[in-house]
Order: sequence, then structure tokens, then C-alpha cells
Amino acid sequence: MSTLLTYISVNNGKIKRSSLEVLSRCTQEANKLGFKSAALIIDENATQYSSQLGSYGLTKVYTVEGPSFKNHLNTPVLKALSAVMNRVKPKVMAFASTEGSKDILGALAANQGIPALPDMSEFEVTDTGVKGKRPVMAAKIISNVEAEGDSVIISVRSGSYDLINLPSEPEVESVEVDVGEDETKSILKEIITASGDRVDLSEADVVVAAGRGVKDEEGQNLISELARLLNAGIGASRALTESGAYDPSLQIGQTGKVVSPQLYIAVGISGAIQHVAGITNSKVIVAINKDPDAPIFDIADYGIVGDLYKVLPPFIEELKKIKGE
Amino acid sequence: MKFYVCIKQVPDVSAPLQIKDGQLIQDNDRMILNAYDASAVEEALVLTEKHGGEVEVVLIGPEKASETIRKALAMGAHRGTHILITEKQKIDSAVYARILASYFSDKEYDFIACGKQAQDTDSGLTGSMLAEHLKIPYVTNAVGLDYENHHLTVKRQGDIGQEMIELPAPGVVTCSNDMNEPRIPSLKGIMQSKRKEVNTLTPDELGMKMEDVEIKTRILGFEEKPGRKPGKKLEGDPDKIARKTAHLLDEEAGVL
Repeated sequence: MSTLLTYISVNNGKIKRSSLEVLSRCTQEANKLGFKSAALIIDENATQYSSQLGSYGLTKVYTVEGPSFKNHLNTPVLKALSAVMNRVKPKVMAFASTEGSKDILGALAANQGIPALPDMSEFEVTDTGVKGKRPVMAAKIISNVEAEGDSVIISVRSGSYDLINLPSEPEVESVEVDVGEDETKSILKEIITASGDRVDLSEADVVVAAGRGVKDEEGQNLISELARLLNAGIGASRALTESGAYDPSLQIGQTGKVVSPQLYIAVGISGAIQHVAGITNSKVIVAINKDPDAPIFDIADYGIVGDLYKVLPPFIEELKKIKGE
Repeated sequence: MKFYVCIKQVPDVSAPLQIKDGQLIQDNDRMILNAYDASAVEEALVLTEKHGGEVEVVLIGPEKASETIRKALAMGAHRGTHILITEKQKIDSAVYARILASYFSDKEYDFIACGKQAQDTDSGLTGSMLAEHLKIPYVTNAVGLDYENHHLTVKRQGDIGQEMIELPAPGVVTCSNDMNEPRIPSLKGIMQSKRKEVNTLTPDELGMKMEDVEIKTRILGFEEKPGRKPGKKLEGDPDKIARKTAHLLDEEAGVL
């Protein structure tokens, strides 16, 4: 029986929500077509995550473990993926679209000699392969695409599918992969993470993002206060990551992270297409900008026309009252 | 140091886009050098200016795309190669990578750089596909590059932070447009570019029979994005509209 295999991205003991979204969709497609839905975890401690996969209708969880998978590096991950794919021969190998999957999608497709459709917003499994939709041209339009093959690789944008609740007891199978040290030519020296403990932007339920209108420390303090109050991830437009006011990891948009929170608050952001490309999967968008003609208002569910320095203090105060703080 | 930079001509995504009968109407006057590739060219120029060496750009595209090679030459690239395909040949990333791999199979180089994705398709597959075909190491999504002792130190933007990766030569690196501000060609650069050498080749001459190439992914058509509509816009006294919005988020949108 054919298998739809979903790659599960993990970080710090947690499975990424975006992976579970893809997994949910794959299980639905598998059930519709009479296929099996399986998951694959590649991590230093892959097995510890399998217990978190009991409600997605899975028949099987494959794990690849070892010290080589402590941090993401493309050579060992590719080797593990190829080994598992050669064994399982999945009809679809699905990923959430992350920097990790973007790093290996092309190489995996070339290695396996099969087609890849990256960064999809919708997909369905067909008799001949996969078809679906991809946002293109800085996410301004949708391209209808299809891939033909017995096996197809896809990645899916976060926020594209809801999670399912379908209890099952998947069998866990550990796959041994020998990662030859000599073959790993590029070496990971160091990972530089931005200050302290913060919410993972691409997974956050609430995101507060600062743009050019946030001019100084006072403005940044207001952003931090609002984010703390809403337990939000902090993001920034390209202008503010380039100026050094915010860490480059926090950039949201076509070049940076794509976010899909329940609530997105754009503060002092005009809404250039490159930025908007990264936020359109948000459920509710609030924009605060003093320019009534700013393009961000064309996509905002709630637009506040006003100076952020005058708007944010009463906004924060009122939210505190609502939250009982 | 020999740097090759793979570049692509793409429609200017900031121009208005028109869709007619499922097809994208492209304005031929608004074709540009892919912004991510421009950053790759810039970075290769900076590194070879500092450490010595040469930058050659390679482009796959129709005849019209030769203007984009000239743009890169005007920025300072030393020579160019144009692998000519017709406007009608709709090739996907996999075929791009195959053609490039055939081209590079008998070349000597330290590094091949390219943009992390093309602005039109936003696929981001070709770079790592090429590396896999050439069986050489690669790093994607570079936001900073440095060269030392025959290897590049690549600062890569990953999921949880910036990864510092040592990439030995020969290798492939794909560039983000966050790493630099590509230079605007000077008048002198533009004049000089006209005398620079551009080789024109066909896939056939590289041993790729285009009519036999199997294209496994296809674009069936384009459609408008179901747009977000503007919602409520509040103007007036900042204090009042701020407090009102807070309540709307709680009571109407239910997202608090």
C-alpha cells in the first residue's frame, strides 16, 4: 500500500505546528485514497517525539537518531532522508516549508530523481502525482501546478491546514543511517541566536511587528510591552533589521519568515509587497500607521490611522484592562 | 579565486501583474536581473576584489535575456555565458539544474553562487539541485560570506538563528538579498561591459537534447490571489480609536 510520508520538524523538545498541519492534511488525503499516512523524525533524540504523534491517524513513525542530527546540516539530513525514502518509497514526501526544508528540497529531488513542488498553499494527491496551488511573484498571484511521478516531494506553507484529531497507535520503526564523517564536507561552526528566550515567530499565535515608524528606544519599548502582554513573537520589517534595530532572524516577509498567527499587529509598517507576502496567512491583521494611504490598510482587518507613539500607550492600557492585568 | 554566478532574468514583481485566461501577461520592458542573483553577483565581486580572482556569470534564457548579462557585466563581472533557450521552452528548476550541471561538468572553479530563489517562481530549488548533480557541498540562504584559506565562511539564516558554516571549495552557495546592497553600474562600467566577452551556447552543444528532456512539473495556469479585503479603518482621536480597537479584538474578532 502506498504511503504519504511527512517529515516532522522539531525544535527544543517540541514538534513544530507547521509540520503537524502538513501531517493532518496528508492523513486526510491518505484516508480518502486508501493510502497509509506515516511520519519521519530525524533528530539527535528522534524517538522522544514519537509519543507526541498519537492523534494524527498515523500507522507508522520512522525515526533516525544520532549525534549527527543535533543541529541542522544538509549533508547528514539528506543522507537520512534518502535512506528512508529508498526504503519506504513514499508516494508523497511532504515537508512544512521552513528554512531547514528549503535547504534540502532541491538536493533531495535531484538525488532521488523525482519532482518537487515547494511552498504550496494547497495540495491534493492524484493518480499521477500531486497537484495544487503555489503563491508566486512575491505571493501576489497563485500558480496552479502539478507534478507527475510515482513519488513527489512537496513543501507546504504554514497556516495552510487545520490540525486533525484522529487517535491512533503508530508503530515506531528506527532506521539506522550511517553518516560517513568524511562525506560531511561543510562544517557547522556555530549558531548565533538572538537574545534569550523568545517565541518562535513562524509558530507564534500572536505576532507584533515593528516597521520604519518605530524610530527609537521608546518605540521599541512599546513594542516589547505589547508583545509581552499578548505573549507574542516580535518581528520586524526589512528596514528595521537592516538598520540593526532588530535581529535579522526577526525579519518577516518574502525574504524573511512567513508567519501565520491568529493575530498580527503591524506597527509603523507601510506594507510593501515583500512584507505583505509573509503575513497574508494571518487570521486577523491589525495595522497602526499615521499615513492613511499606507498599503497595509488595504489588507488590515482593523486599521488604526494614527501616530504609534500616541496610539500604543492607550491600546496597551486598554488591553491590560481586558486581560485583567 | 574563480567565482561563477548563475543569474536569471525575471519579470519585475513590483510592476502591476495582469492575468488573462489563466495566463500571466508579462511586460517585456520590465524584465530585470533577479534581485537575489544581483546580491550573489555583488558578493562575488566584493570577495574577488578583496582576494583576487574572476567572476563569470552564467544565464539560461531567451535572446532577450542577454541584456541581463550586460547588467551583471556592467556591475563588474568579468565575462558571461549565455545558454540560449527559446521563449517557448518552459523549463522547470530540475531542467535548469540539469543544463547548468552539464555546463559546469568540465569547468574549474572555486565557488558557484546563485540567488536563493528566483523572484518570479519563488521555488528555491535550482542551487541545491545543481550541487547534488555536481556532488559538491553547498550552503543555502547565505546572509554573509567571508573567504579564507580556500574556504568560505557562510553565515546562513536558519530556523532558530544564524549558522556559521565552513564551506570548502569547490562548493555552491545560494544568496539572500539581505547580505548586501548590489551596486548600481557606473557609466564607465556600462561602457566597459560592451567590450566584455559573452559566450553563447545552446543546451544541445552541452549534450542536452531539449526535445528529449522530460519536464515533470508543470504550471497549469495562474489565478488572482483571493485577496484580503480591507476591514474597519478607524480615524480620529488616538486615545479613543486605540481603546476601541482593543475591545473590537476582544469582542468582535475574538483573538485575545
